[in-house]
Amino acid sequence: MISLDRLRVAALVSDGNDVKEMIVSLLGKALREGVFDAVLVPLVAPGQDSYDYVLVGNPSLLKGANPIPPVVPVSGGRALMSLARRGTGDMRIAAVMRPCEIRAAIELAKLGQVDLKGITLIGMDCPGALPLQDFVKSPEDGEEKFKTVLRSFDDDGVRPVCKMCRSSATLFGDLHFGFVGLEDRSCFLMSQTTKGNDVLDRMSLGTGVDASAWARGIEGLSARREAGRTETLGELSERVVGTEKLLRAFGDCINCHNCMRVCPICYCRVCGFDSQRGGHPAVDYFQRAQSKGSLRLPADTMLFHLGRMAHMSLSCVSCGACEDACPASIPIAQIFSLVGDRAQRAFDYFPGSSVDDAIPLLVFREEEFEGDDENG
Amino acid sequence: MEALDSRDEVVVVERHRLLCSHDGKSWLENRIRENSLTHLVIAACSPRDREQIFMEACGRAGLNPHLFQLANVREHCAWTTDRKEEATEKAIRMTRIAIARVRYQAPLEKKEIEVNPDVLVVGGGVAGLRACATLASQLRKVFLVESTDRLGGMIARFEKAFPDMRDVKSYLENLVNDVRSNPRIEVMTEAKVERIIGFFGNFEIVVRKGGSDSGATELRVGAVILATGASLADPKGIEGFDLCAVPDVFTALEFEDMNRRGCIVCRNGSPPKSVAIIHCIGREEKGYCSGICCMYSLKFSRYLTDKISSVQVTHLYRDMCVPGRFYQDYFEESLGDRVKIVRHRKSRVTEKEGRPIVLYEDVNGRENALAVDMVILAPAMEPADGSRRIAEVAGIPLDKEGFILERHPKLATESSGKDGIYIAGCAQEPKSIEESVIQAEAVAGKIMASLVPGRKIEPEVRISTIADSFCQGCGSCVAVCPYGAVSLDERRKVAVVNEVICRGCGNCAAACPSGAASIRHYTRSQMYQEIMEAVR
Repeated sequence: MISLDRLRVAALVSDGNDVKEMIVSLLGKALREGVFDAVLVPLVAPGQDSYDYVLVGNPSLLKGANPIPPVVPVSGGRALMSLARRGTGDMRIAAVMRPCEIRAAIELAKLGQVDLKGITLIGMDCPGALPLQDFVKSPEDGEEKFKTVLRSFDDDGVRPVCKMCRSSATLFGDLHFGFVGLEDRSCFLMSQTTKGNDVLDRMSLGTGVDASAWARGIEGLSARREAGRTETLGELSERVVGTEKLLRAFGDCINCHNCMRVCPICYCRVCGFDSQRGGHPAVDYFQRAQSKGSLRLPADTMLFHLGRMAHMSLSCVSCGACEDACPASIPIAQIFSLVGDRAQRAFDYFPGSSVDDAIPLLVFREEEFEGDDENG
Repeated sequence: MEALDSRDEVVVVERHRLLCSHDGKSWLENRIRENSLTHLVIAACSPRDREQIFMEACGRAGLNPHLFQLANVREHCAWTTDRKEEATEKAIRMTRIAIARVRYQAPLEKKEIEVNPDVLVVGGGVAGLRACATLASQLRKVFLVESTDRLGGMIARFEKAFPDMRDVKSYLENLVNDVRSNPRIEVMTEAKVERIIGFFGNFEIVVRKGGSDSGATELRVGAVILATGASLADPKGIEGFDLCAVPDVFTALEFEDMNRRGCIVCRNGSPPKSVAIIHCIGREEKGYCSGICCMYSLKFSRYLTDKISSVQVTHLYRDMCVPGRFYQDYFEESLGDRVKIVRHRKSRVTEKEGRPIVLYEDVNGRENALAVDMVILAPAMEPADGSRRIAEVAGIPLDKEGFILERHPKLATESSGKDGIYIAGCAQEPKSIEESVIQAEAVAGKIMASLVPGRKIEPEVRISTIADSFCQGCGSCVAVCPYGAVSLDERRKVAVVNEVICRGCGNCAAACPSGAASIRHYTRSQMYQEIMEAVR
C-alpha cells in the first residue's frame, strides 16, 4: 500500500461537476489568484478531433481544457522541453499531465533538457489513454468510449502499454489529483514537495484529510496493472527475444523514425540516424550485400532501433508515444517496456521518480553487478 | 607479403628483422623518405612497447606520426596460438585492418607546453610546512592551503616530542615563521581546495577562502602535495568507552592540551595521584596498529612524572610497539618505580563514587579493577575529515579506512594513484613527526627532480572534440569525464572540452547519445573502416 505519511492531502469540495471540471476550475482559480502565471494543459483542438498542449495565461481560455484527454498525441514531456529548456525566468507555470508524462519531464530535467525551477508538475490518477490511431478514425466514438473508461477505470479499450502501467496512480511531480476509490464528484489534491505545499497554502486549501480510501482504491488498480504487465511482457518475450524474433518484430518497420520524433526522452538535436553522417559509400553497402547475400535498404533499420534501445532503456517511462505514432503497428512501446524493465531492474532504477535519483549511466558505483546477475 | 602487396594504394611492402633497433629505425626513416610515403603501417609487436619509437621515427622522416598505424601481430597473433597457419591468416587480416584504418587517419599536430614548476600543498601541519619550506628553499613557488585559521596542525598541541623530548613549540614556531615570511610561499588559511583538474606539470586549481560566498582563487601548479593529516578515533564509538558520564577521562589530544596549558589536574582541581593510560583503543575495530601511540603514551608518563612528584602511572597495553634504534631505550628509561606496565587483553572504563575505574582482563584471563584519579586513552588514529573530501576533489583512491592510497606500498609510497599528486605525512597512514618530515622532504625532492622548470610536456593530441552543432547540452559527458576536462557552457548550453586537460579516454564519446563527442584518431569513419575490414 502506498505510504501516505509524507503527503499533505486536501479534499476538494464538489459543486456538482465531474473530476475533470473540478481540476479545470481549480486551475482557473489558481490563475486568477496569481498562484501561477500560466498553465500548460491539454486543450481540445480547433477541429474538436484532437488535443494539443497549450500554454494558457488567461483563465477564460481554460474553457476547452481537458486535463485527462482520451489520447496523448504529444507527450507533455516534449511540450515542456520545448517550453522550458532554458528555464522559465520569473514565470511560475503549472504543467498538468499524466503521471508517465511527468516522469518523462523528470528524466529530461536530469538530462538538462527541462529546467523545472519555475514549473509545478501536476498529475492525476490515470485511467490510461486510447490508441491514437483508433481515436482519429472517429473522435466522437472515442470521446464516448473514454467517458466510460474514466468512470470505471476498467482498462477496456486503453492502449496495451496503459494496461500494464506501473505509474498510473503514483505521485511523481509536486501535486496529484486522486479520485480512484472515492465517491463520485469527490477528489483529493495531494502534495509531496515544498512547491506543492506552497500551492496548497497559497490557495488556502486546508489539509490533513485522511487519504486511506484513495490509497485502498488504487491498490486494486495497481495490482491489476502489475499482473497485466507480467502477463503481457511474458507473452511478448516469447515473441521478440532473440535475434531472429526481434528482426521479425521490426520487419514491418518503414524507417520513418516517428517513434524517435515523438519520444519524450529522445532529446538529441539531430538524430545520428537522420544525419548524413550515418551514410557510407555505395561500395560499402555493396560489400555488405555481397557478404550477407543481400542487404535491405535503407540499411541499418534494426540498428536504429537497437541504438534507441541502448540510449532510452534506462530512462524509458513506457508512455506509449512511440507505439501511438508507429504507422506499421509494431508494438514498439511494449518492446521498449520489456527492455527498459530489465535494464532498469539491473541498476535498481525507476526512471522519473525523483530528480535527485541520478541516471545510472552517469554515476559510477564500484559495487554494481557484483554477485548473481538475475538478468543473465 | 604477397597478400598485402596487392592491396589498393599500397606502395611498398618490406620486411625488416629488428625494426626497433638503431639500424632498423634509420632504415625505416630512409624507406619513408625514399618512397615519399603518405601513410605507414607496421605489423610488429605491441603498441605499448613500440608505438612511440616508430612514431618518433616517422616524425624524423617528415611523416606525421598519426598517419602511422601499428598492427600488433605478436601478442594478438603469434603468441595466442601454436597453429601457425591460422595465426598467419589472422596477422594478414590484422594488417589489412590497419591499412583500411590508416587511410582515414588525419595528421594531428603536436602541441608543447612548458611545465608549471609551482606546487600546491594542501594541509598546514608539520608535513605540509616542511614540504613548503624545502621547496621554497630551492626557489620554488608554493601555495599552502590550510582549512583552519592557523598553521601547525596536530603537533601544535604537543609540548615535547619523543624520543629526544625536544621542545615542539620552538621547533614549530621557527618552521611556521620560515613559511610565513618566505615570499615564495603563499599561505591561504581558512581555505578549501574545490577543484583539482589536470595532470603532472599542469594542474588547474580552485581554492575558496572563508565562507562559500567569498571569491574563489584560481591557481595553476605543476604538482600537488596532499598533507591533510590524521585525527583520533572517537572512543565513544568503541565498545567499553562510551564515557559521557565518567569524569577525568581524557583522550591523548585532550591530555596534550591540558599539559600544554601547564596544569594537569582532575576535575576537583588537584593533580592526579594515580593515572591509567590505556593503549590500543580501537586497534581491533580498525584492524591496524597506529604505531605511535605506545611512544606518545610513554611520553605522557614522562610529562606526569616530571611534573607531579607523587604520581603513579599504569600503562595498560596489548602489544608494546617500540621499534627502531631509539625507541627501545626510551621505553626502558620511561619505566620505573612510578611507572608500571600491565599487559591486558580487554578493558573498559566505568565510574564509582565520582572516580574512574578501569576494568580489565589480564593475560591470564583474570578480571581486575583499577581505581585511579585520571584515565588517558590512546585511540587509533584515523584519516582527518579533509582526506575524503580532497580525494574526491582530486579523483584519487583511498584505502578502506579512508587514508590516501599510495601508488605502491614499497616503491612509490610518496605518490597517490594519480601522476603529479603526492602524499606527505599522516594523510597516508599514522606516522611519527620524523616519519612525516622524511616523507615531506622526499616528496619535495621528488618534485624538484622531475618537475624541472623549462621542461616541456606534450599534452595528448588524440583528444575529445565536441561538435556544437550536434550537442544538446545534456551534460552526460561532463558526468563521465574522469579528468574534469569537459564542462557545460551554460549560456550556449553546449559541452566544451578543455584541450590541455583532456586525455582522450573516450568516455564522453561513449556516453554522448547525439554523436557530438568524438575522439580524434578514433573517429567514426576510422572505426567503421576497421570493423568493415575485420568482418569482410
